[in-house]
Amino acid sequence: MFNRFVIANPDRCLGCYTCMAACVVNHAKQGLQAYPRLHVTYTPVGTMPVQCHHCEDAPCALVCPVKAIEVKEQMVKLNEGLCIGCKMCALACPFGAITIQGTPPPSVQAEPARTLTALLAWFAGQKTIGIKCDLCDFDEQGPQCVRVCPTKALQLVEGGDVERWSRLKRAGAVTGAVAMFKEAEG
Amino acid sequence: MTNSIPEISQHTDVIFIIGSNTAECHPLVARHVIKAKERGAKLIVADPRLTEMANKADIWLRVPAGYNISLINGLLHVIVKEKLYNSDFVQNYTEGFDDLEKAVERYTPAYVEGLTGIPQQDLVEAARLFARAKNAAILYCMGVTQFSYGTGTVVSLSNLAVITGNLGRPGTGVNPLRGQNNVQGACDMGCLPNLLPGYLAVTDEGYRARFEKEWHVKLPSKPGLRIPEVADAILGGRVRAAYVFGENPVMSDPDSDHLRHAFEHLDLLVVQDIFLTETARLAHVVLPAACWGEKEGTFTNTERRVQRVRKAVNPPGEARDDWWIFSALAQKMDYGRMNYLHPQEIWDEVRRLVPEKFGGITHSRLEKVRGINWPCPAEDHPGTPILYQGGKFATPSGKANLRPVFFDPVRIPEEVGEFKNALAGKITELPDEEYPFTLTTGRRGYHYHTGTMTRKSWPITQVTPEQLIEINPRDARKLGIEDGDFVRLSTRRGSIAAKAWVTERVPEKTVFTTFHFWEANVNELTVNSTDPAACIPEFKVAAAKVEKITPAEFQAILQEKKKKYLVDLEAEVAGRLKSGRREAHV
Repeated sequence: MFNRFVIANPDRCLGCYTCMAACVVNHAKQGLQAYPRLHVTYTPVGTMPVQCHHCEDAPCALVCPVKAIEVKEQMVKLNEGLCIGCKMCALACPFGAITIQGTPPPSVQAEPARTLTALLAWFAGQKTIGIKCDLCDFDEQGPQCVRVCPTKALQLVEGGDVERWSRLKRAGAVTGAVAMFKEAEG
Repeated sequence: MTNSIPEISQHTDVIFIIGSNTAECHPLVARHVIKAKERGAKLIVADPRLTEMANKADIWLRVPAGYNISLINGLLHVIVKEKLYNSDFVQNYTEGFDDLEKAVERYTPAYVEGLTGIPQQDLVEAARLFARAKNAAILYCMGVTQFSYGTGTVVSLSNLAVITGNLGRPGTGVNPLRGQNNVQGACDMGCLPNLLPGYLAVTDEGYRARFEKEWHVKLPSKPGLRIPEVADAILGGRVRAAYVFGENPVMSDPDSDHLRHAFEHLDLLVVQDIFLTETARLAHVVLPAACWGEKEGTFTNTERRVQRVRKAVNPPGEARDDWWIFSALAQKMDYGRMNYLHPQEIWDEVRRLVPEKFGGITHSRLEKVRGINWPCPAEDHPGTPILYQGGKFATPSGKANLRPVFFDPVRIPEEVGEFKNALAGKITELPDEEYPFTLTTGRRGYHYHTGTMTRKSWPITQVTPEQLIEINPRDARKLGIEDGDFVRLSTRRGSIAAKAWVTERVPEKTVFTTFHFWEANVNELTVNSTDPAACIPEFKVAAAKVEKITPAEFQAILQEKKKKYLVDLEAEVAGRLKSGRREAHV
């Protein structure tokens, strides 16, 4: 069976950030890092949240030196407890779906140290951790982003869905071809 | 709004959004626009920024900040020239068409392109699409009104709806999207210096008599000061005390340093709010108010729908309902008639005084239905979601008045004098060599106005933690600015510093930022010039310059702002309240 994943429809996305806020709240309630796991991304051709594709042969899992990221339970799972903050997953991810975050110590107010790339910036005293979509696996109601979207732009795709859509598209292709030939004959 | 929100998804065929970032600022209205699009409706968006609505538009007219009137006159020109207007409607229900026809004569597509850079083809197509629609609706917001000629822009939009006959039917209308849950309600209740509740003019003796009889007081017959006029009135000695509630003018008024300076000259500043806002920190007396979830009553939304609101939790500490505080103050000032026990008594008084609009909207009816749209004169009246049905307008003649509107960025066009009733405008501060950018302002999804409430919400802070200044990639390259670099943004009135967001969302030579953050409040930079009729300030255009700065320079500016907005005071007062000591802070 395929890995499950959440995907957005840019024709419906308003860029309203509701998904990101709900993501933060739901994970904080669970005692996980209070950062969004999907990122509303504006481009001149369209806008939608970008999140983990839960790749079958996930590059992030391949490069993780401590097996904090594993492909299991039809998803790419990151264990925040095991993560050592080496940032390799974020560099390897082809979609920019992993961010490096962490809770800064409350007494330190400083700008991040200047580094070659923004990805490797760090705060003094902060334990960094990779942050990625976990499909709200701990929540019976499923991914919060999908539930809260005001335009239903987000949806959870599960194993059978891709095959079902492909069947529909194949049927559509036949109907189209038949109509085309009929028109050519008539 | 002349119409109601759900009509957009059900009946509208062409939606024209102008000066509204609907997706971010009114996402629930935007949801109806998306539904309408999925039903096959077409979307025209006019905005300088590539907002999400612009991104989804069938035609996007990238009008530069400030040039709305030229664009709308261009649309009117095409509609009149190609005879696409609704001639039956124009003949039977309007007056002033001949003047309008003459006035839009010179706004040819070529002329409009020269002024605004909007391709002629796009303008013509938009005009045809709008005029040929069965039901076309106009949605607009602060990007139309917040100019020194905002009234003129609204009038030209109304001209557009009138000559195409798009009023008084489902899915049509001129629809301002109001910014707050109850801002419509506040205006309905006379929170305007020239109006009594129900939009009755204070200058009218008959209307005043109605209220004087009920309230047993003599009412002033002259309009009061409008907010942007207050600062100069204080400095001129005309105003000695101010009572601010439900507002944070130190953050939200244009050229806010000027207002802060004026407030320092007051004998008494009272601020009533739910938090110790930037303005409350300057006050002599702070009165703690209850928030929306802590009180009973009604809210009236943008579609004039009066809705019942119920208390969910008790207000904390000594916080009280606003009406309770006003009544208690009145009693202290020896006016005993404001001895209400429940907001329903106040609402019933409003119904008695303005029966033509609110008479039929009783609390018991509101218990049963999800709100009633005023006007609703009688208890058996269903309410009025759609205004001007049957072509009846609220003018002396009962017909819609078409008024010519002129615009030129540099000087008021001379033709204005040739027409009676004409309106005209020009931009107060145009870019020049020293300040080469056009600064335009607005909101970002998820932060609300001056951040009084949203900046106290940690999930929102996690998603939108800091101020960003939007700048076009071409301009950024010229100035050596990369995405995320710190920049200083200055106008003739002051300067702020924040991170740059290098993005195509803004056109070249335009920068955009918000008034959500005291760290970099854009209203320190905005122009204090106002519309002559409505007195709305020109928040949307100012001349500005942008410079790259170092993180150390940014930190230094941040410390200055922290002192200026007395940020530590809030934490200090919160700490004192917690420890039980409640001595007044002066």
